[in-house]
Amino acid sequence: MVIQMILNGLMLGLSYALIALGLTLIFAIMNILNFAHGQMYMLGGFVVYYFYYVFGLNYFFALFMCIPTLALIGVIFEKFFFRRVLTLGRREESSMLLAMGTALLLENIALIAFGYKEQGVPPLIHGVIKIFGGYLPADRAFIILMSVLLIIGLLVFIYKTRPGRALRALAQDKEVTYLMGVDVNKITMLGFAVGAALAGLAGGLLALTFPIFSGSGTPITIKSFLMIMIGGAGVVPGAIIGGFLLGMVESFGYGLISGSMTYLIIFAMIILLLIFRPQGIMGKPWG
Amino acid sequence: MNQKNYARIVLVATLLFIYLIVLPIIFRNQRYLLNIVITASLLSCASLGVWITFSIGRINIGQGAFAGIGGYTTAILIMKAGFSFWQSFLLAGLLAALIGFLFGLVILRLKGVYFAMLTLSLTETFRLIFLNAEGLTNGGNGIMGIPRPGALSIAGITIIPNFGRSNIFFYYLSATILIIVFLAVWRLYKSRIGWIFKAIRISEDLTRSCGINIVKYRIMAYSICCFLGGIAGSLFTVFYQNIFPASFQVNDSVYFMLYCFLGGLDYLAGPILGAFVLTGAFEVLRFIQKYQEGIYACIMIALMLWLPNGLMSLNLGKVFGKRKEKELETTEADKLLKSYNPDSGRKSLKKEG
Amino acid sequence: MAILEVENLTKRFGGLTAVNNLTFHVDKGEILAVIGPNGAGKSTLFNLITSYNRPTSGKIIFEGEDITGMPTHKIAKLGIIRTFQETTVFKEMDVFHNVQVANHLHFKSNDLEEFFNSPRAKADHLEVERRTRELLNYFGIEQYKDEIASNLPHGHLRALEMAIAMSADPKLALLDEPFTGMNAEETDRAMEMVRGIRDQKGVTVILVEHDMRAVMRISDRIVVMNFGEKIAEGKPAEIQQNEAVIEAYLGKEEEGELEDVL
Repeated sequence: MVIQMILNGLMLGLSYALIALGLTLIFAIMNILNFAHGQMYMLGGFVVYYFYYVFGLNYFFALFMCIPTLALIGVIFEKFFFRRVLTLGRREESSMLLAMGTALLLENIALIAFGYKEQGVPPLIHGVIKIFGGYLPADRAFIILMSVLLIIGLLVFIYKTRPGRALRALAQDKEVTYLMGVDVNKITMLGFAVGAALAGLAGGLLALTFPIFSGSGTPITIKSFLMIMIGGAGVVPGAIIGGFLLGMVESFGYGLISGSMTYLIIFAMIILLLIFRPQGIMGKPWG
Repeated sequence: MNQKNYARIVLVATLLFIYLIVLPIIFRNQRYLLNIVITASLLSCASLGVWITFSIGRINIGQGAFAGIGGYTTAILIMKAGFSFWQSFLLAGLLAALIGFLFGLVILRLKGVYFAMLTLSLTETFRLIFLNAEGLTNGGNGIMGIPRPGALSIAGITIIPNFGRSNIFFYYLSATILIIVFLAVWRLYKSRIGWIFKAIRISEDLTRSCGINIVKYRIMAYSICCFLGGIAGSLFTVFYQNIFPASFQVNDSVYFMLYCFLGGLDYLAGPILGAFVLTGAFEVLRFIQKYQEGIYACIMIALMLWLPNGLMSLNLGKVFGKRKEKELETTEADKLLKSYNPDSGRKSLKKEG
Repeated sequence: MAILEVENLTKRFGGLTAVNNLTFHVDKGEILAVIGPNGAGKSTLFNLITSYNRPTSGKIIFEGEDITGMPTHKIAKLGIIRTFQETTVFKEMDVFHNVQVANHLHFKSNDLEEFFNSPRAKADHLEVERRTRELLNYFGIEQYKDEIASNLPHGHLRALEMAIAMSADPKLALLDEPFTGMNAEETDRAMEMVRGIRDQKGVTVILVEHDMRAVMRISDRIVVMNFGEKIAEGKPAEIQQNEAVIEAYLGKEEEGELEDVL
C-alpha cells in the first residue's frame, strides 16, 4: 500500500515538477502569473491525442510536436499580448487579468474544437512492473523516466547554455541584462516559449494515464499555483520541490482519504506555511 | 465647476430614473429580462467589495468563497434553523466579514501574486468545504427549495409585507441594497478612510510612518469586501432558491475582477458599470452561447490591450467619475513648474544660509 | 538631555550582522549625523528605530520609554518620524491630500464618526485643512496643492516629503539621505530646511548622509559606523581628525567624499 502510494507519488510529483518549472520560469523572467498554464498542459494532451492516436503516428513524434505547438502559442501570447500590456501597464493587475483572459480563451477554443468528451490514448508500453510489492504500470514508469530526463535537460539548458544564462540574468535584473547586450525581447520570448512547451510536454506525457479533456486546465493551473507557493515563486529548485511535494501528498491523500479532503488539507497546510514563510520553502524574502 | 456638478446630477438622476422606474415598467412581464437586471445588481454588489480590495493594492480572486459563505449561511439558517430571510441575510454578511477578518489577519501580509494565488485557492478551499460538510450542506446535492423572503416586521410593525414570489419585489430589494451599498462605499471613499486605503496602495511603508495602523485599515477594507460578498451570496441564494458547491467558483471570482477592470479601477462606479455592461452583453450574446466564454475572454484581452483603465476612463468618466488623473499631462505641468522660481516660499530661510 | 538612547543594539540577517552592539544617544534639539561607508548599517539602524525591522538584541529608549519592537505607527504617535532614502511621497495623490493623509494623528474622531461625518469629524477636517495649508506654506509648495505629487520636480518633491514628515509634529525626525542627488544650491536650501525644523519647530534630527560637506556643516555631532559598529563619535572637527574614520573611508576607494573634505 505505502509502496504503491510512493510509486504513484513519484509519477505525479515528477510530472508536476515539470509543470511548476514552466510556470516559475515565466514568472521569474516576466513577473507574470501564467493563468493559462493548465490550459497549455491540456493542449499538450490533445496534441498527443491527435498525432499519436488519431493520426496513428509515433508517440515520440507526437510528444515532440508538443514543443513547437505550445512554444508557438507562447510566442504569440508574449509578442502580441503580454509585451504590450507590460510596457503600457500602470498596475500589475493588468497583466494578471490578461493572463486570465488567455486562459479562458484557450479553454474555449479547446471546447469548440474538441468538445466536452474525455479522450484517452492507448498505452505506449504494455505490462506492469512489480517493485517491492507495489505495481507500476510500464507507462507510468515511462512517465517517471521521461520527466526526470526532461527536468535534467531543462536544468542543463538553464545553467549550462548561453540562452539559459541569459534567461537567468534576465530573471535577476532586466536592465543589467539589457546593458550586457542581450536582446531582452528575444530572450523573454524564448522564456515564455520554453515555459509553455514544458506545460505542453507534461500534458503530452500524462496523456498516457489520465483522460484528456478540455476542462482539465483550470485544476492544473490551481495545482501549479499551489506548487510554486509551496516552493517559492520564481525559484527553480523551489518549483521542483513544490511539484514533487504536492504530487507525493496528493498520492498519499488519494490513497488514504478522499480526493477533495486531501486538497482541503493541502490548502490548510499551505496557509499555515505561508504564515511562517510567506516566500515559500526556497523563495527569497521579499518586501 | 458648477456646470460639471450639474451635469453629474442630471446623469445620476437619469440613471436612477431608468434603473428604478423605466426598466421595471418595460420588463414587468418579462421575468427573464428582469432577472438579468437583478443578477447584474447582485454581481455589482460583490464586485464593489473586490474593488475595495483593489483600492488597498491587493488582487482579490477570493470573492467567490465569501459569496458562497453568505449563500450557505442563509440557506442553512433558513432551511435548518428556521430563521427568517432577513435575519439570515444580516448574519450571512456578518459571518462572511468575520471569516474575512480572521483570514485577513494572516493573508493580508502577502502582496502581489502571492495574495492573488492564495485568494484563488481560498475560493477552491471553500468549494471543497461545502462539498465535504455533508451534514450541513448536503454535499454535492446542494440545498434546494429555499423560500423567497417573507415579511419583515420589527417590534410588531410590518415594514416589508410578504410579496411571495413577485420578481418586481425582488428587483426593488436588490436595487435598494445596491444603492445603499454604493452610497456607503462612496461615503467611505470620500472620507479620510478612503484616503488611507489609497495611501496604503501607493506605499505601505510611508503610510505606516505617518502613524497610521495599516494592519487595521487593511483588515477593515478586506472585511468590508467579504461582507459585501456575503450579502450578495445570500441574495443570490434566495433569488435562485438553491445553492450548490459549484454555485460560486474560481471563474466567478475572476469575473468579479473583470467587472472592476471593465468599469475602471480608478472609479467607484466602475464595478457597477462593468457588471451591468457585461451581464447585459452576456444575455445579448446568448444566441451564440457556445462562444460566450470565448467572447468574454476576448473582451478581457482586448480591454487590457486597448483600454487598460476601463470604460470609465472614456469621456463618461469626466462627468461621472472622479477627476481623471493627470499622469499623461506631465510634460505640460513640468514646463510650468520649471519656469517657476522655487525659492519664493522660503525666502526668509534662504537669507540665513 | 537625551531624547533617544540606543543601547547595545544588534541586528543579524541570517549570517550577516548589519548592526553590531551599537550604543549612542541623541540630545534634545541636536542635529546628529550618522555616517559610514556603504553597507555600514545606517539604513538598518533607521529601520530598527522605527521598527520596520525588529532588532536581534539591544534596546531603544525614547524619552525614557522602551520602544524596542513597538509597532511603527505607535512609534510615530510617540513622536518619531522618518523619511526614506528614495524620496517617498504618495505619488498618485495631489499634494494637498498627501499632507492631509499624513496628518492622520491630528484626527481625534474615530472611524465611525468619520464615516458618518459627525460634527467632531467635521471640526477635525477643518483643523487639518488649516494645518495642511500652514505646512505647505512653510515648505513653499502651496502653489502646487492641486498638482499630482509625481509631477513635482525633485526639489519640491523633497519639500513635500518634509511636509509629510512634519505633519505628525514629531519630536525626533530621522532623515535618510536628505541631500543626496542635489546640486550645491539645492543642498543649501535643503540644509536650511533641516535647520529650520530644528530651530523653528524644535525637532531633534538624526540624519544619514553621504554628502560629507553638508554633514560637516550641519551636524552638531557625528556618529561614524563601519561594518555595523560605531567606530567614532564626536564633533565634526574631531571626526575629521579621527584615524579610524580616515582609515575606514580610505579603505573604500569609491567613497572618496571625506578625502575632499579632509
